[in-house]
Amino acid sequence: MIAVRDLALRVGGKPLLASMSFEIGAGEFVGILGRNGAGKTTLLRALAGLHPADGGSVALNSRGIGAFSPAERSRAIAFVTSDDVFADRLTVREVVAAGRYPHHRWWQWTQEPHDAQAIAGALGAVELQSFADREFATLSSGERQRVWIALAIAQEAPLLFLDEPTSHLDLRAAQHILALLRQQVKAGKTVVCVLHDPNEAAAYADRAMLLAGGRILAFEENQRVLTPGLLEQAYGLKMESVITAAGTRRIFPSAG
Amino acid sequence: MILRFAALAAGLLAVAAGALLVGGTELSPGAIGNALLHPNSGEVATIVWQLRLPRIAIGAFVGAALAIAGALLQGLLRNPLVDPYLTGVSAGAAVAIVLSISAGVAAAAVPALGFAAGLATAVTVAALARRGASLDATRLILAGVSLSSLFAAVIALVLTRVQGGGSAPAIVSWLAGTLSGRSMGDMFFAAPYALLGAILAFLSAPALNALRLGDVRAAAVGVDVGRAQWTILASSSLLAASAVTLSGTIGFVGLIVPHVARRMVGSDARYVLAASALLGAALTIVADALSRTLLAPAEIPIGVLLAFIGVPAFLYLYLRDRRTAAA
Repeated sequence: MIAVRDLALRVGGKPLLASMSFEIGAGEFVGILGRNGAGKTTLLRALAGLHPADGGSVALNSRGIGAFSPAERSRAIAFVTSDDVFADRLTVREVVAAGRYPHHRWWQWTQEPHDAQAIAGALGAVELQSFADREFATLSSGERQRVWIALAIAQEAPLLFLDEPTSHLDLRAAQHILALLRQQVKAGKTVVCVLHDPNEAAAYADRAMLLAGGRILAFEENQRVLTPGLLEQAYGLKMESVITAAGTRRIFPSAG
Repeated sequence: MILRFAALAAGLLAVAAGALLVGGTELSPGAIGNALLHPNSGEVATIVWQLRLPRIAIGAFVGAALAIAGALLQGLLRNPLVDPYLTGVSAGAAVAIVLSISAGVAAAAVPALGFAAGLATAVTVAALARRGASLDATRLILAGVSLSSLFAAVIALVLTRVQGGGSAPAIVSWLAGTLSGRSMGDMFFAAPYALLGAILAFLSAPALNALRLGDVRAAAVGVDVGRAQWTILASSSLLAASAVTLSGTIGFVGLIVPHVARRMVGSDARYVLAASALLGAALTIVADALSRTLLAPAEIPIGVLLAFIGVPAFLYLYLRDRRTAAA
């Protein structure tokens, strides 16, 4: 579905990531991990066609991402950022309605009959139906994150890219978000998601990509990537793992 | 929503009808009604058709243009404290007009020069604010404010040089903002540009709605952010330049009216733009009528009067918002 060949990315003129080649298939849940500044967000933006490639190529279904018009691209890829916003007096429904933009002509004022249905479906998918008329500014961080995901679902794009959807969230809210994303994968979407917690990635993603030192350190099944050895290399921290009573492997930085 | 817009439109019509009654010669509503139906029926008809209606039309035109321009820029920059002159349109126009009045350029050519200089300034500010294909909001504000203060200095210099000269009153009256002495001909000169600006504004409403969520999210839902920003900026500059050319610098319509509009119709750009146009027209007609009557037969410049109304109104809105936010 997505094929990356020799991709090089620069930020502010400085090389950030180089010679990356990989593929992501339809229906996968991929977690991207790495230290702050490793290039996770920039890579995700490049995959979404929102950051230009400085070398190599990103292709979606064998077509270069740069060849898509903005609206075409947004019908294929929904990109969720958690950047805060000055939301004035927007209601949750108005925020989510922005997801319908790529399905209209750019100057079109009127709604299509399907729009209301898509918006209601998206609010339902993140369990925020009863919040539709609430002012966005009154929501908690976890609720806001669900609204951003609803916006992306309303786009009805087969690919869902998320930049740190669980940052700033409490444990319960973070689990809720990841479970929602898993459901989206079950419903047929492809999810690529920047995460910070290797245990979250291990529990929810199918494959994990570990970025370090300007390149991909590993991109394989969770079990083979989220090991103390590779994580030590990526984060420069001593790591250890334990097997819980339930048989799940958990990884932590060693104390001291 | 339809009811709210019907009320706004009715309000605008009522204000316009009321303004027909205001003027140096006292006319009864009956006489005015008669004159409206019979345009060539004598002196009263001449006053109504040649003096009062054009003035109301120009007031409505200027007010609507400034209010739409303000709503556009506030939306684009996600900053409710922005006014349509931020892009340097009025300062650029002012410099050109002040210079051409003091140099004795034929009066008929002055508005065109002002319009061209206003647009040229907006283009310069936009060029300075460019980053890649899109606009940097902070740079736009900085460039607009810097050029405006440079031009203000030029104007101050010219004013000190012409002091006591014949052109000083004309310059001061223009700087203070006034609708007096403007003809329908002046309006028809500005109208095509304003119309183009208004069309671009209304076409940009869906993109403006997406841009409320930030540039990255707008791009993610398929807005061509660069194109949308330039379109909105061009539209706002065309509208503001048309208004300034006609009336001089009238402040506060472009700043206050979008706030009132959002209060009435919510924050959807489609409704905000339309409501701003209606409210801006009504406010300017009222202010112009007051400016002619409060100290009659003398006329208070409408820009001065609007500042007197506008500043307290703005402070009231702002403080009330802060209290609500605190509560």
